[in-house]
Amino acid sequence: MRWGKIPMPELFVAMFREEWRMHSTVFGSLGFALFPVLVSAITFMGSAMIPYLEAVIPGGTLSLVVHLQFLLLGVMVGGFGLLGQEVMNRRFGQASLLAYSSRSLPISDRRIFATFVAKDTIYYFLLWVLPFIAGVAFGIPLSGLPLSFVGLITVTLTLSFLFGLSLVFLLSMLYAKSPVLLALVLSGVILIAAVIVWLQIAGTVYLFPPYALYRDFSPLVFLYAVLAIALPFSVSISGMTLSFSAKENRYPDRYGEIAGRLAWLPAAPLVAKDILDLWRSGAFVGQVLFSFLFPLAVIWVSLSVLSAVLPDVQILFSFAAVAGVIAATMYTWLTEFDSVGTYTFLPLGTPDLIQSKFTSFSVLQAILVLTMAVTAILSGYAREAFPAVVLAVSVSFYACSVMIYLTGLWPAVMVYNARVLLSSLLMIGPVLLVFIWLSLLDSRFACSAVLLALPAYLLVRASLRRWASWEKVFF
Amino acid sequence: MNAVIEAEGLTRYYGDLAAVDNVSLSVEAGSLFGLLGPNGSGKTTMIRMLTGQVRPSSGMATVLGVDVVKDPVLARVKVGIIPEQETPPSFLTASEYLDFVARIRKIEGAGEKARWWFEFLDFADKKDVLCKDLSRGTRQKLMFAQAFLHRPVLALIDEPLINFDPVMQKTVKEYLREYVRDGGTIFLSTHILEVAEEICSDVAILHRGQIVHSGPVAEILARKEKLSEFFLNAVGKDTYA
Repeated sequence: MRWGKIPMPELFVAMFREEWRMHSTVFGSLGFALFPVLVSAITFMGSAMIPYLEAVIPGGTLSLVVHLQFLLLGVMVGGFGLLGQEVMNRRFGQASLLAYSSRSLPISDRRIFATFVAKDTIYYFLLWVLPFIAGVAFGIPLSGLPLSFVGLITVTLTLSFLFGLSLVFLLSMLYAKSPVLLALVLSGVILIAAVIVWLQIAGTVYLFPPYALYRDFSPLVFLYAVLAIALPFSVSISGMTLSFSAKENRYPDRYGEIAGRLAWLPAAPLVAKDILDLWRSGAFVGQVLFSFLFPLAVIWVSLSVLSAVLPDVQILFSFAAVAGVIAATMYTWLTEFDSVGTYTFLPLGTPDLIQSKFTSFSVLQAILVLTMAVTAILSGYAREAFPAVVLAVSVSFYACSVMIYLTGLWPAVMVYNARVLLSSLLMIGPVLLVFIWLSLLDSRFACSAVLLALPAYLLVRASLRRWASWEKVFF
Repeated sequence: MNAVIEAEGLTRYYGDLAAVDNVSLSVEAGSLFGLLGPNGSGKTTMIRMLTGQVRPSSGMATVLGVDVVKDPVLARVKVGIIPEQETPPSFLTASEYLDFVARIRKIEGAGEKARWWFEFLDFADKKDVLCKDLSRGTRQKLMFAQAFLHRPVLALIDEPLINFDPVMQKTVKEYLREYVRDGGTIFLSTHILEVAEEICSDVAILHRGQIVHSGPVAEILARKEKLSEFFLNAVGKDTYA
């Protein structure tokens, strides 16, 4: 046996098993196994509505939106843990995963990392993409879609997911190397795309290869879509650096100054630590780019294609509400890059930590306020900026409070519990619809979303009691 | 003498496994108490229960008169803790971390105290290095400093010497002895028997979650028996066969 060649399948299987155990340890095998079943059930119900939706939204628009959502899913899955060396260190180091321990084995870092990426891709494909397609397939008697259509979207939606994954993987690898390099490459890609569209060398649709394949299912376009995914993947894996430097990073003391300035906030010492943690780890810029702005750009494009059926101002308010939900995931930035073990021997309880993370989350909402205000102004609705910001921020605080109530300090793992997912959908979905509908009646009504502060407050208060005695039982 | 730690029927299950099984013990003020045991015997779980980091499945424990099940945070206010595995936060410098702990514990004059610890444990040159870039030994020094920064009357320390070089081990052992002479109490968990024999006044031997011996070290040594031999007899030589 040649070391470095053989162990890949074994490592893959072991990593796969590890990921399953990590999730199933928390809520039991059944609770976790029900997660894809729930995704299927939701898609099944959604596909039953296709005939009604097609009466309002053109079929082409609907399919583009669905493909963009799978692109977004790939972006969100890929963004996790791929934001540079420090984050890799935290992800692998603290969790003591095989990806870390196997580095003491005679296997190259690149091989381990390639296995890790392959595992993540297949694992989340089985968790999200496949159940979605299965739901559509089960819904055929109700939707009336041809069986061949299910075959088509199985290929194109899978490729959309992989395209999002490969893009964010490439961008985060470039970012880890140098933010300047990332900016240069992004500028270059945007320029080339603009030239292609401007000179009409190819249709805009070819900028999104999996959707181009959906529109024109031919061997040549299939090859183009596969290449568009394989290329970023290959470049990312070959460019990924996992060699951890032995350099001692030194910093002047900033903690005392920040904690002093934030003294008026509850849990200021912990909030100051969170701020330095996010900033010095490089996670802040990476997360803002890949977990917030990039997904929002995809959502904006998705909503823009609905302009045929929705007035522009309504797109702004729908965007504000969805941006609020995306911004709520900033809570996971604070909990994912932090080990609870750091605090357990200090005189702090879980409620103190939840409170401090919620305060840090509130500070981060400045990013949402800025993003929404700029979006409203740039889209020509400066007068609607205020209600749009109020709607986005209110939804964000409410969605975050739901997340805290359902998952405590462990949102990134607990979300894969079918019960948690269903509860989140039921607690957030109807609220979103109500406030989007209200803002449709009159944009000023969007300000009524501020009423969400009350349930948000009550949920956080209830969470402090609920999670006070919960014990961390895993990594 | 009065007891600073009292445990009665303390039990903790992980699934079907009783990591600690019906343990009762009492630690007197002013003692340097060693909890000994082979790997996996339940020492860390015991310390975690006594500091309210893990809830017992059954039984009760008080630390400095505080019920650790009912009020674990108050118990941790009063004591100093060095955990076995946990490390300081990666992206604070060593100096910032002690400032962080001082703010959490509301310690007056923490800056001066921190400077003393940097000098005493000989790592002042590392105070502006990020915790993640510190060597294991230096991290252990930092964890040691944070546990004693507020000068608690009781410290519970899990394998405190394991990452130290012989010179630093000597310094730390000397500090622990002096701390006890000044009226403090140490509850120390270790499987390094030489350390226990050298500095502990009392020991309890934990094996498969149960106490198999408890008493003063002097009693064992008076029988002309080394602590290591006594330990092997207590846990059964087959454990190490």
